[in-house]
Amino acid sequence: MAADALLEVRNLSVRFATGDGPVYAVNDLDLEVRRGEVLGMVGESGSGKSQTWLAVMGLLAKNGRAEGSVCLGGKEILNLPQRALTRLRGDRMAMIFQDPMTAMNPFLTVGRQMTEVLEWHRHLSRREARARCVAALESVHISDAARRLSMYPHEFSGGMRQRVMIATALLTEPELLICDEPTTALDVTVQAQILALLDELRQRFGTAIVLVTHDLGVIAQLADRVTVMYAGRQVEQAEVHSLYGAYRHPYTEGLLRSVPRLDEPRSARLATIPGRPPDLASRPAGCPFEPRCAYVTEICRQQMPPLVSVGDAHLRACHYDGALGRLEPDA
Amino acid sequence: MSESALLEVRDLDVHFPVRGPGLLRPMLTLRAVDQVSFDVQPGEVLGVVGESGCGKSTLSRALLRLIPTTAGSVRLHGVELTTLDRAAMRPLRRSMQMVFQDPLASLDPRMTVGEIIAEPLKALLPRMGRAEREQRVLRTMQQVGLLPAQINRYPHEFSGGQAQRIGIARALVVEPELVVCDEPVSALDVSIKSQVINLLLDLRAELGLTYIFVAHDLATVRHIADRVMVLYLGRVMEITDRDALYARPLHPYTRLLLSAVPIPDPTIARRRRAAPSRDELPSPLALPSGCAFRTRCPLADARCVAERPILREIDGRYVACHHAEAAAA
Ligand SMILES: Nc1ncnc2c1ncn2[C@@H]1O[C@H](COP(=O)(O)OP(=O)(O)OP(=O)(O)O)[C@@H](O)[C@H]1O
Ligand SMILES: Nc1ncnc2c1ncn2[C@@H]1O[C@H](COP(=O)(O)OP(=O)(O)O)[C@@H](O)[C@H]1O
Ligand code: SF4
Ligand code: SF4
Ligand SMILES: [Mg+2]
Ligand SMILES: [Mg+2]
Repeated sequence: MAADALLEVRNLSVRFATGDGPVYAVNDLDLEVRRGEVLGMVGESGSGKSQTWLAVMGLLAKNGRAEGSVCLGGKEILNLPQRALTRLRGDRMAMIFQDPMTAMNPFLTVGRQMTEVLEWHRHLSRREARARCVAALESVHISDAARRLSMYPHEFSGGMRQRVMIATALLTEPELLICDEPTTALDVTVQAQILALLDELRQRFGTAIVLVTHDLGVIAQLADRVTVMYAGRQVEQAEVHSLYGAYRHPYTEGLLRSVPRLDEPRSARLATIPGRPPDLASRPAGCPFEPRCAYVTEICRQQMPPLVSVGDAHLRACHYDGALGRLEPDA
Repeated sequence: MSESALLEVRDLDVHFPVRGPGLLRPMLTLRAVDQVSFDVQPGEVLGVVGESGCGKSTLSRALLRLIPTTAGSVRLHGVELTTLDRAAMRPLRRSMQMVFQDPLASLDPRMTVGEIIAEPLKALLPRMGRAEREQRVLRTMQQVGLLPAQINRYPHEFSGGQAQRIGIARALVVEPELVVCDEPVSALDVSIKSQVINLLLDLRAELGLTYIFVAHDLATVRHIADRVMVLYLGRVMEITDRDALYARPLHPYTRLLLSAVPIPDPTIARRRRAAPSRDELPSPLALPSGCAFRTRCPLADARCVAERPILREIDGRYVACHHAEAAAA
């Protein structure tokens, strides 16, 4: 255990009960978030990113169950009673989502929604709360903040709504801010602004940030450490430079090699990962990436590779020991 | 205007009447496409980029006459389309087809894959016999990588990537010359996206197709397009050959877009982490005077406020900026 761990997740599993049987959304997840760091989590849709953090926040859907352990500042918080969780959520950790509109009440002014958070958690007067909100909006660079408090969410652009969500999340000065695809719905220009803002907040307030996205470009810009998810499992975890420069998992290679990149010469064809992600209703005995992997050997079909250290705080879950680099543009 | 162009678009306007804000909610005109001119050569891929709301989808739909145009001209092989009635348009619809962004939403959930792909054949080639139609459907399915056995399945049984293959098959089955792809891979997962991009490139080579390829993602457009058109608030900012555009963008808006593309390399990404522009797209209902981009442009001056820049040729590119020479120099 790292001495500076703020959040420790141990053996976390999330399972949903459905009419067609259980869905194993997150399996045996171990990770930590350190104070003041940005932890990036990357993976394709359905890989269990959102459910991991919803479980941490105690916000899983009704048919979902989380098992394992989640400690915040050394105290177990997984499956706490609702009241305790509500307090914790406002006070010490907050989460923002891809689509800010769904997290806002369209019939309440932005000011009303923001002050409510404060009155509830901090027992401030209306007046004090209002002043705090203006300051928070200013800290996310929303101009004319006092006037904006009386506006409704639909009167804001997508980028501004995401700023408002960040400002609201910061009102109670949380130690941990979880951002689930915070820029996926935004234009690249606005995305760049939001990422710069998150970076600034981390430096100013020392907030630890979890940045969840399917975009390796976004992670590269902000994260200190990165974890890669596939089929509800962590397949690789490393410091950002070693993940991009010396990745050790075939799936990470696939993700990095199959996207068109502006920093590389244009190629005639893209490398591809064949097939598609598995259905999480079944639990394979072997490696979940096996049907798509260019490095398969017999053992991959039989045994789930555990997440183990390959040196230098670099973890990966793969049986293959040789060099990567086999992924070529398919002919 | 070149004689060989497959598609010629001149001064195209698409306006929407909308209610303005305030107590009286006056009727206002939203200029979603504003004086747009460009050509598409046979066999080329023209990329179209711009932020959300810049008119990319509106332009795509207007070219195919899926929505009415307000003014201007669209000619396919020299034939003016904007004045044709439905009946006269029908034979031309075979030549131009569209692939949409959201694969599942654009397919009728009650129809089988076979029925979905056969539908444009029935509508546009009604005299084709059943057996031939079936043949065509199967051949097209094979071209896009769907299995014959899947012909009687329903869209919800397919993943996003497969659903997009159905969408592509539906567009290709009538053997069009021009396919307008409106963000065909934006909704797809990373590992599926590259499969579909490769498919589109293969089909182009195999069938000699011409694409208009609309996308948010400038890295994808660089991969697939021969020329790129940059739109901003319904107006053309720049049209340039791919390599020149990415190596040396002349328009300040093109530069802003390119500088914001995230690079999946932490060393480069952090070096580039310069101050991003703080301003966002102005309301399309209250366009700035002069140059539409001036509220966000670092080079804007009095002339940009007073005078709308026209699209002009500089070094073999087309750029709408009073100060493009500053970047060209
Ligand atoms: N039917 C309509 N009525 C009124 N306004 C419309 C209509 N369709 C589009 N618009 C407006 O026209 C402008 C251009 O929209 P369009 O959908 O073409 O943009 P886009 O570039 O495709 O954006 P995106 O990247 O989000 O797909 C926007 O301001 C939009 O709100
Ligand atoms: N309420 C639910 N009931 C059943 N399955 C669910 C539920 N919520 C999520 N899942 C499944 O859990 C898996 C992981 O989802 P999620 O964490 O949201 O993925 P992502 O990585 O895209 O954020 C997916 O297979 C999803 O379909
Ligand atoms: S364990 Fe085997 S199948 Fe899985 S990623 Fe490694 S080499 Fe590929
Ligand atoms: S015309 Fe002026 S405002 Fe417009 S892009 Fe050029 S320099 Fe900027
Ligand atoms: Mg998610
Ligand atoms: Mg669009």
